[in-house]
Amino acid sequence: MIAAMAYQGVSYRYPSSDAGVFDIDLAIGEGELVAVIGASGSGKTTMLKLLAGFVLPDRGRIAIGGRDVTGLAAEARNLGVVFQSYALFPHMTALDNVAYPLKVRGIGRAERRREAADALARVGLDQRAGHHPAALSGGQQQRVALARALVFRPHGLLLDEPLSALDPGLRIEMRDEILRVQREAGIATLLVTHDQEEALSIADRVCVMRDGRLVQVATPRELYDRPADAEIAGFVGQSNLWRGTVAGEGQVATALGAFACDTGGLAPGAAVTVLVRPERVLPLAALEPARPGLLPGRIVADRFLGAARRIDFAVTGGLVRLETHSQESVAAVAIPPSAIRLLPDPNVPHGGRTRP
Amino acid sequence: MTAQGNGDGAAMAFVTILYLLFLFAPMALLFVGSFGESWTNTLLPSGFTWRWYVEVASDSSFRRAFVTSLEVVGLTCLLNVLIGLPLAYAIQAAARRGVRLAARLMTLLPIAVPDLVLAFGFILVFSSDALPWLGSFWLLVAGHLVLTLPYTVNTLAADMQQLRLAEFEQAAATLGASFPARFRDVVLPLVSTSLLSAMLTVAALSIGEFQLSNLIAGFFSRTYPIVLLQAFYGATGFACAATVVLLVLAVAASLLSSATTRLAGRAA
Repeated sequence: MIAAMAYQGVSYRYPSSDAGVFDIDLAIGEGELVAVIGASGSGKTTMLKLLAGFVLPDRGRIAIGGRDVTGLAAEARNLGVVFQSYALFPHMTALDNVAYPLKVRGIGRAERRREAADALARVGLDQRAGHHPAALSGGQQQRVALARALVFRPHGLLLDEPLSALDPGLRIEMRDEILRVQREAGIATLLVTHDQEEALSIADRVCVMRDGRLVQVATPRELYDRPADAEIAGFVGQSNLWRGTVAGEGQVATALGAFACDTGGLAPGAAVTVLVRPERVLPLAALEPARPGLLPGRIVADRFLGAARRIDFAVTGGLVRLETHSQESVAAVAIPPSAIRLLPDPNVPHGGRTRP
Repeated sequence: MTAQGNGDGAAMAFVTILYLLFLFAPMALLFVGSFGESWTNTLLPSGFTWRWYVEVASDSSFRRAFVTSLEVVGLTCLLNVLIGLPLAYAIQAAARRGVRLAARLMTLLPIAVPDLVLAFGFILVFSSDALPWLGSFWLLVAGHLVLTLPYTVNTLAADMQQLRLAEFEQAAATLGASFPARFRDVVLPLVSTSLLSAMLTVAALSIGEFQLSNLIAGFFSRTYPIVLLQAFYGATGFACAATVVLLVLAVAASLLSSATTRLAGRAA
């Protein structure tokens, strides 16, 4: 299958700096929504700039629809871009903004206005077509920007932190709206965001960037369940991360005690990080007879989150974070073997990178 | 005014009043004097007349200077647009910070160098046999351009940055707009108010320019301020009326300029 948008061995370094992106290989399929997440400075925005044609790679190729566009300027790439600040032209009405890409393509006035009105209607903004951007709310501007980026049927859609300028309440609504519009258009999409929750909730696949490299590309489920290392685990969702040592086949030793788990062929004595997601920890209301994997202790923090509680539970040797729907008191917690994931120890060099 | 701040407040008021007095009293006196029948050794002139304005209007050297000034102002503004706009755009669009800084410094130089130094330089260079253009109309326009271009470039470049022009252009590019289309549809409409305001200020600067013009203008390309100086050797009322004409033009340009700036501020 020909990828809708692809990076092939792409590297780009900013002039007179070490920052950039390195050895990027990524293919985005037709209709697929791929999110790029990472801390600020990790290179995720550079990924978007490379694809859009705002910067040209030092090495490698950028392909759109199987065609090499590496040397093409932004205006020749036929990609819809929604900017973080929307970049709606302040001197044009919403309708003229949306009609603009059709205008530069030489489409007649009557037809481009009709198409632009249709595009605005698809994002539910046909009532505000005659308003200038300054008279529109943030969410409305976002919709206009989305309509403008899609009206000329581009090969792909690029979204640069599309929700970061919106109120938290509106963010979830717009997130669903973006997903709906993207699915309706069936368009390959690259979403750049620092918000892992946003990425997990709407992306088909998520790319995690660190220091200009893709450190993991996976579906949201995979990324959450099988993060490549402790740092990704800490970045994606809530987590318990404990230092541990493989004690033997199916056994890991930690400061909290020994747990049974899948050691996946790791040699005894190997240093690992033990990952347990908070919702996988089982709270027990009454003390049960001591057994391996059962940790008695006491609650040190109990946060009410409406549907759930997020609890910090002190046990011998450390702290267990858990999330539960139960409203009962907690006397002990149990960690089922299936909840435990062993990750390479971050202090052991891997992938050429050491963490302090 | 509170009792506590009385001393400071009074001092401030005193300074302010003195400043305004020094600023406006000469203008007011010029205005009064331009309508005065006769004015010798008295605080204020006596009698009312339109005579001085009629005389200024019918004086052939004043009329020629007035026309010359308008021509110089017009051409200075036109060249400022033709050269300053692309230059400001290039500075703003330059990716490297160093390029921008260098361009800024270059455009600041003529502001730092006194007009007089610039004029002497012009005289030295353009009275040579190789470039014998001293006294020509076009050299005068060039002089005004050199003096005003830094203002245009700095103002436009700063406004372009504040308008986030680069981002809008990038957006237009992704929508498929070529450079000429982007310039016509995005850059020009967005900077038009800023450009108009800058040109009105340039006009105000150019109308009143004296130092450089006085030294490099030829007899037939004298601008209004130069001829004005001659007027002060004649009748006081005449000199006042001739000055008021200049004052009104310069003030009108400045006021219009600040009005457009405020308009642009509201639109942004």
